[in-house]
Amino acid sequence: MSEVDFECAECTNPVEPFLRSERMPHIWCPGCGIGTTVNCFTRALIDSKANLEKLVVVSGIGCTGRVAGYLKLDSFHTTHGRAIPFATGLKLANPKLTVVVYAGDGDLSAIGGNHLIHAARRNIDLKVICVNNLIYGMTGGQTAPTTPEHATTSTNPYGTFEPGFNLPHLVDAAGAVYVARWTTFHVRQVARSMQEAFKKKGFSFIEIISPCPTLYQRRNKMGDGLDAMKYYKQASKVKNGAPTGEVGLTKTGEIAVGKFVDRDRPDYRELMVHRFHESLGDEYVETGELVCS
Amino acid sequence: MAQMVETLEQQHKTDETALITGSEAIAVACKLADVDVITAYPIRPYDTVMQYVSKLVSHGELDCEYIVAEGEHSQFEIVKHASAVGARVFCGSSGVGWMYAMEALTVTPALRIPMVAMVGNRALDDPGAFGVEHNDALTVRDLGWMLVWVDTAQEALDTALIAYRVAEDRRIFLPCAISCDGAFLTHSQALVKIPAQEKVNEFLPRYNRGDLLLHPDNPITVAPQVNEDWVMEIRRQNYAAMERTTAVIKEAYADFERIFGRSYGNPFFEEYMTEDADIVLMGMGTLSIPMKVAIRQMRKEGKKIGFVRLRWFRPFPAEALAKSLGRFKAVGVVDRDYSFGSPYMSGVVTHEVRTALYSAPGPKPPVLCFICGLGGREVTLPDITRMTESVYQAAEGKAQPLTQWIGLRE
Repeated sequence: MSEVDFECAECTNPVEPFLRSERMPHIWCPGCGIGTTVNCFTRALIDSKANLEKLVVVSGIGCTGRVAGYLKLDSFHTTHGRAIPFATGLKLANPKLTVVVYAGDGDLSAIGGNHLIHAARRNIDLKVICVNNLIYGMTGGQTAPTTPEHATTSTNPYGTFEPGFNLPHLVDAAGAVYVARWTTFHVRQVARSMQEAFKKKGFSFIEIISPCPTLYQRRNKMGDGLDAMKYYKQASKVKNGAPTGEVGLTKTGEIAVGKFVDRDRPDYRELMVHRFHESLGDEYVETGELVCS
Repeated sequence: MAQMVETLEQQHKTDETALITGSEAIAVACKLADVDVITAYPIRPYDTVMQYVSKLVSHGELDCEYIVAEGEHSQFEIVKHASAVGARVFCGSSGVGWMYAMEALTVTPALRIPMVAMVGNRALDDPGAFGVEHNDALTVRDLGWMLVWVDTAQEALDTALIAYRVAEDRRIFLPCAISCDGAFLTHSQALVKIPAQEKVNEFLPRYNRGDLLLHPDNPITVAPQVNEDWVMEIRRQNYAAMERTTAVIKEAYADFERIFGRSYGNPFFEEYMTEDADIVLMGMGTLSIPMKVAIRQMRKEGKKIGFVRLRWFRPFPAEALAKSLGRFKAVGVVDRDYSFGSPYMSGVVTHEVRTALYSAPGPKPPVLCFICGLGGREVTLPDITRMTESVYQAAEGKAQPLTQWIGLRE
């Protein structure tokens, strides 16, 4: 059940009814982009007139993982890396739910990397929002699988030498039906992509490049939150439909943004139902919605 | 150049003193032990050691392979296999990170891998908490891991060296986890004597896996499927190795004293003001710090109280501990852990102490369990006074609840 009160008299901002104000102040640092993405998310919910009674937010562990706790929506703060398996369970048990996975790059692509590719392969109908700050923020700025080469981190004081993941390419190759990337500078585009993903059936993935002034930018002499916005504005290049193999990130280079993939293929449930009908004929009875009494 | 060589040689021979945290002390021990392969995955509070190791590696002070893995499971798997091919290894974790590595943790002692790991003790989620609880490291207590709890940065450094010496002893070949209380030890700085490299080299021989080395010149199969044909015999070998640990640990501490000129006395547990004590409290890790302060204060009031800090939990020093505790009128064990549904709902350490006393000859004082300081909650002087009062009552033969939660919000 959603607790969002749109009639909220004390609220001064359209986003406020979505937030658990009693949990403020939040843990995010000044200049962090996660709050911006939450703003975009709530605006996307408002604009798409999403049925909040049928919407669930699942998050993993880490800075972005805290989103679930601040939203006045049905939400679950799961174990590290397991947001996707948890969301898969929700979707299988109750196919009518809109299931949003809200997690960071470390949670989704490192410890939970296996789940990411398999959910994309099965085309589970999930909306995955990946806030990518290029680092493990909460634990002290260690090198993550998304850290661009040569970036300085607490575990690579003289620069990383491992190649980082190109996440859009990864999920595209694994079979995602909707793949987009924006930065926290692109607030309208982020919200629009989220709305598109809500409507899309199948595995959708939106990567949002987000600043971590405390641990990533400081060590890399990239300035504060405002400097990050300037960099995003200057370095971003909209490349809708670009081959995802060409959108990998570098430390200070161009950031390819846009909608890279938008295609249709049957999702997991559709394939399953089809297969059971094929093999069992009329004997197969589709299970209905789970109803909480 | 000649001068530089001379300086380096000098450094090699001299002890140093540094103001460092418990985690940094463990990283320094890795450097002194010249560890070959280190893997890591960030989780608080263990992750502090990662940064220190990274600096040492990046500055060229520690020549080792260092990988930030994609999760704790792979982290522990990588070092396990590195150890099988003859590398000296180090890794560690905290709380649920340690639990996520459980599959690797289970097979490590069974394969006789002398891994040394640090556990930055942390409460298990849910509910989310970063503070100390001992249930994380305790989960491997039945599997063949040696488990040791330390209470200062100095002891963390020294114990890490001792852990390598014992774990890599051919008679043992078992993994060892060094537990450092989250925040209280991992993040607190203290002056630490860093021993000279020359002394460490004398204390710690190179890891030699001998005929168990996985190498093309020594074709063996590690971990073949044996089913019921051999499982019992293999378990029995682990049993025998664990049985030998007590003697090997004693040997290592004696050698430590000889080479480094410092001694921990009884390696297995520390006794504080117990000579004339009527009752004692007991616990593991940094609990010793408020405990010793409280005891000194209560001693001024004429109460004869002592404290026993258990250092080695595996092997558990049952006989020696039972003999020592038999001297007192009552014992209060402070558990920074829980064991729901266990006998009398007591904590894990209490159970071990009661078992040790039950089967030992000699007097059996009553043993009370105090569950205290969970999730990093501070153990305060009033908490300790309350525990002491209850133990005194038990000493006078007045019935007391066998398990009490102390410092709980009522």
